[in-house]
Order: sequence, then structure tokens, then C-alpha cells
Amino acid sequence: MLTAGIDVGSSTSKAVILQDNKILSYSIIPTSAESADSAQRAFDKALDKTQFISPDDIHWIIATGYGRVVVTFAKETVTELSCHVKGANWLFPSVRTVLDMGGQDCKAIKCDGQGRLLNFTMNDKCAAGTGRFFELIAKVMDLPLSDIGELSLETDDEVRMSSTCAVFGKSEVASLMRQGRNKSDILGGVHTAVSDRIVTLLRRVGITPDLAITGGIARNIGIVKRVEKRVGCRALIPEEPQIIGALGAALFARDRASRN
Amino acid sequence: MVQSTSAKKSLQTTLEVPVLRRKYYAQTLDDSQKGKKVAWCSNNIPSEILDAMDVTGVFLENYATVIASKRLGSGFCAAGEKVGFSQDVCGYARMLMGYVLAKNDAPEAPYGGLAKPDFLLVSANSCDSRLGWFSAMSSVLNTPLYVYDSPSQPDGASNSLVVAEHIETELRNLISFLEKQTGNKFNPDKVRRRMDISRQTSEIMYEISQLRKAVPSPMGSADMFTAVWPSMYLSGTKECEDFYKRLRAEMEERIARKIGIVPEERFRIMWSGIPFWYDMQLINYVENFGGVVALESFYRVRERRIPSQHDDPIKDMALTAVRQHGYPSGISGSIEDLLEAVEEYKINGVILSYNPSCRMLLISQTELQKALEDRGIPTLGLECDMADERTYSEGQVKTRMDAFVERLLAKNS
Repeated sequence: MLTAGIDVGSSTSKAVILQDNKILSYSIIPTSAESADSAQRAFDKALDKTQFISPDDIHWIIATGYGRVVVTFAKETVTELSCHVKGANWLFPSVRTVLDMGGQDCKAIKCDGQGRLLNFTMNDKCAAGTGRFFELIAKVMDLPLSDIGELSLETDDEVRMSSTCAVFGKSEVASLMRQGRNKSDILGGVHTAVSDRIVTLLRRVGITPDLAITGGIARNIGIVKRVEKRVGCRALIPEEPQIIGALGAALFARDRASRN
Repeated sequence: MVQSTSAKKSLQTTLEVPVLRRKYYAQTLDDSQKGKKVAWCSNNIPSEILDAMDVTGVFLENYATVIASKRLGSGFCAAGEKVGFSQDVCGYARMLMGYVLAKNDAPEAPYGGLAKPDFLLVSANSCDSRLGWFSAMSSVLNTPLYVYDSPSQPDGASNSLVVAEHIETELRNLISFLEKQTGNKFNPDKVRRRMDISRQTSEIMYEISQLRKAVPSPMGSADMFTAVWPSMYLSGTKECEDFYKRLRAEMEERIARKIGIVPEERFRIMWSGIPFWYDMQLINYVENFGGVVALESFYRVRERRIPSQHDDPIKDMALTAVRQHGYPSGISGSIEDLLEAVEEYKINGVILSYNPSCRMLLISQTELQKALEDRGIPTLGLECDMADERTYSEGQVKTRMDAFVERLLAKNS
């Protein structure tokens, strides 16, 4: 049986095509101003990759993410909170806590052994700790986004950031650059400040091992290492951390389709 | 953007409240024009005493909710901020300071605005922001202010006779203040008559609270957040008593006919804290999933009012106040009260509003949420101002609500 999950996030749209218990293909594309169009393109791209599956072959489609309600070709919607734990728990059955760090928000989610949502807390009031914040910092420091995590670990004299607000943080980084501070020291300070906020969020929901980190920022080794150090356990990182929400949606679709 | 404000009501009686409210505000303007003394009041100022002193009370916190429910809150808050009040200040206070000091920058005031005050009365109970807010208004309006000190009680002291004596003294001082301001003589018989009606009304409201335990819910919070209004601002009037008699009768009929808020009630939610007045349809949102917000933390009448014990109505009023203002008392008292309500009203989950500009509630909500989660009762915290919709993102709030419902349904599956 073929099912699909579509995750329309603020930065990227993702699609996963599932055949029973196996990921057949997936796609990740930037979300444009038209979320519905992004969802369609992500789905088409994932289908194209399979080379033999057409939309009519898909039994059930579930949409998730902040743009889930505009995905008209989906049969139903499930929140990204439920989808992330569903997907993470399927990949790593020992997972009981998921930290999802996406483009627009940051979520700490707890689940049971079946990947069912038990509790969650979110930061969506503040851009610090989101993908957008790191994009801003990389830009102001004229560095590739993919490099800043690694660089942040190459310091033994990290700066102490006075602000974790994304706007003020960016200004502070620009000011530190003008003062000639070492880039690794600055990035160390930025990553430490963000990690402290993330761990506070995690502690609010309670950390039950194992912990998985999903979302684009899971690729940032500077954040992962600091979070691991603060919570005192290793984090499980999916090979493709950005598709976990879409994967969870595809798994929900599989469950729904088999019930109908 | 929020598209609508008023919650969808299920009971016909509740629909009478907007009419009563409009009439009440029109009456205050009329009284003022006829030369009757007008007091701008905080909540907890006993309207029975105002009536006995022939004073028209205008309750500012209520007017703030009227402004917010008409989606004018942000405009009034911005006017308050323009004259220097920080966004961290209570949303109600910001709006009303905007109304007082920056009328030209604020939107058109609902109900034709407020009757001009001759003096101000503030209760020190529950909220410390009120004291600063009313002091500031007293200063800018050059209007006398009386602070009625009726303290909230620490745990276990809600029936303290010492506190009752203190409140009695405070009530007598309030009466002296009003006699001085109005030149009128206090009429204890008039207070006694109104207190008798208040007591009868309170009995009906206690019964209404009991009726709300029924499954399916005969009246949810979407109705109660409106239906509570007469008890707060028309207390001690026949109009108020009759309203609750009709409400009780309608609820009894719904229970007899098993009419709920939704066709098939799947789960029951409790709302803890102040709602977001600019989007009251959020209370109805869970109905899309077969749920109902069946109870709210503030308006449950927990016990029958004590019978009259003295010839002196002020002594009785002090005893009533010490129970009302002190209950539930302290954090542990609030936790106990909440857990009791969850059990008695068969609540499956609790939504807690976190209002950063309400210090009094913000602190206790964290403790309440933790206590509920520790006992396996699912909770959802929503952080938004009660009046200032600039702090509100409908999409984000509804994602949380959706996930909360998914959590509840997963738990019950």
C-alpha cells in the first residue's frame, strides 16, 4: 500500500512516499510564498523520483506543518507535533523525547513507545533558536550556513552574548565582528546562548531518554553537541532530519488507510 | 488575523446578557447626566454598598473586556503605550489609561464611552497592578481615590475572623468615604435588602454550578463567560436573580432532554485563567472535534453562601467577602480546587492561559500546570494577552489546540 506525507514548513516543504513500511522516496524544496504550490511541487518531485508511481496510486495522503490546511489534495491533516514523534519513534523505537528545530519554531515533544504524542512545548514567539536566526547570523558573518556549527566548536574563549533576540543578536554579532573578535569565539557564544534556551524548553516538557533531534538545525553540530552536554545524553540524529514530519504524516496515512 | 470575536452560545438565556449590559452602560451615562455621583470601580467593590449610597458604579475591568471583545483592545493599548505605559503593564490598565489620557489616539469607545467619575474605588484583593493603575488615574483625573483593602488569604486562613474584622473596618471606612463624597447617609436596610437578593442569587448560582457536572454538558464556558456578567455587575438586583432562575430552568430542561453542546460529547476541557476576549470563538474550537470547554476556573460557585448571622449587614458582608476573596487560597489551595473540579466535572484536559501582563495569574499558572501534568492530566498552555490581540497568532494557537486534541484522543484511544 502506498501512502504519502506532506510537510509544509515555513522554510521548506517536504514529501515522503511510503510503501507499507519502507520509504520509497522523499523530496525537500524551499517553501515559496504560495504554500499550496510548494506542497504540490514537493509531492510531484517525490513521485518523480519513484519513476513509476502516479498520484492516483497513493491510497492516503496526510498533510502537516504550518501550511497543512492549504494542501487540498491531502485527505486530512495532523499537526507537526504528532507527526514528528511518530516519524522519530518509527526510525528510533527507543525515542521518548524529540527536539524539533525548524525554520520558524522550536518544539520539545514527548511520546510513548508507540510514538503517540504525550506532551509538548513550543517556542514560536521568538526567532532565536530557529533556522531563520542561524541564517541571519551566517549572513552577517559572511559564512556558509553549513559551516557555522563546526566553527562554533573551534573556540576556547567564546564570547558571552548579552542578547538572544534574533534582531539584537544579529546587531551584537555585527558589532563583535567590527571589534575584530574571532569568528569561532562569536559563533561559540551564539550557539551557547541558543542551546541554553533550547534546553530550558526541553526541561519544561521533561527529558526522557532517548532523545532525538529533528529539523534542519539537527545538522548543526555546534547545537547538537551543546544540547547533548547540557542534558547529559547522546542525541539520535536521523540521516535526513528534515523529513521526519513528512515521514510521520505518511505513517499516519498508512495507519488510516489500513483502517479504512 | 482574527475573523470573529463572540463565542457561539448554546443557551437562549445567555443571549439576554448583551442587552442587559448595553442597558447598564446607558443607565450609567443617564445617571451621570442627572447628577448622580459616579464611581469608577475595580472588581470586588460591593455594588450593594454603592446602591445603598445612591452611587452609580462603573466597573473598569468589565469595560476593558467590552473593548477587547469588540477587537478594539490593541488600539486602546497602543494609545496607553503612547502616553508611556509599557507593554508589560496589565492590558486592562493600558487600555483604560489610553482611554483617559489619549482619547484622540484611541478608537471610538464602545457604548458612547464612560460616565465621568466623581471618585475612584479600588479593591486591593487579587491584583497589585490595580493599585498603581487607579492611583495613576486618580492623579491624572484629579479625583479622590479609596483603596478598599480586602486581602487574599494565605493557605488555610480563608475563614479567619481577624481578617473578617479587618474587612469590616474597611467596609465601614468605605461607607464613610462615600458619605463624605456624596453627602448621602448610609442606609443599612437598603444594603440588607440587596444582600438578601444576592444570597438567593448565589444559591441559584451554586445550583447552576452543580448542574454543570452533568454529561453531556448543559452549559459550557462559551456561554458562562458571558452568563456570569449579571452576577458581577447587577448583584443584589431582582433582574439578576430572575436571569439566573431562567438560566437554571433552561439548563434543567437541557439535562432532562440530554441536550449537550455537541451532538456526541467525546471529551471535556476546563479553561483556567482569563480568556482571550478578542477571540472568544477559540472556546468553541474543540467542538469541531466533539469536545466541549465544560468549565472555567473562575466562575464555579463552590459552596452555599453562609446564612445571615447578624443584624448588622456589614458584618455579614465582611464574612461573605472573607470567604469569597480568600477561596481558593494560595497556590496549594488553588491546586486542590482545580484537581477537585477536574474530578467532579469529569474533565479530560485543562487549557491554561498565560497572560504575561497579568503577574498575579502568570505565577500560579505554572504551578497549576505542573500539578496537573504530575497527575497525568493533559494540559495546554497558551501565552497571549487577554486584551491586546497583537500578542495573538491564530495559526500558532490553533496548531497548539490541534496537537492538544490529538494528545487527548491518543490518550483515550
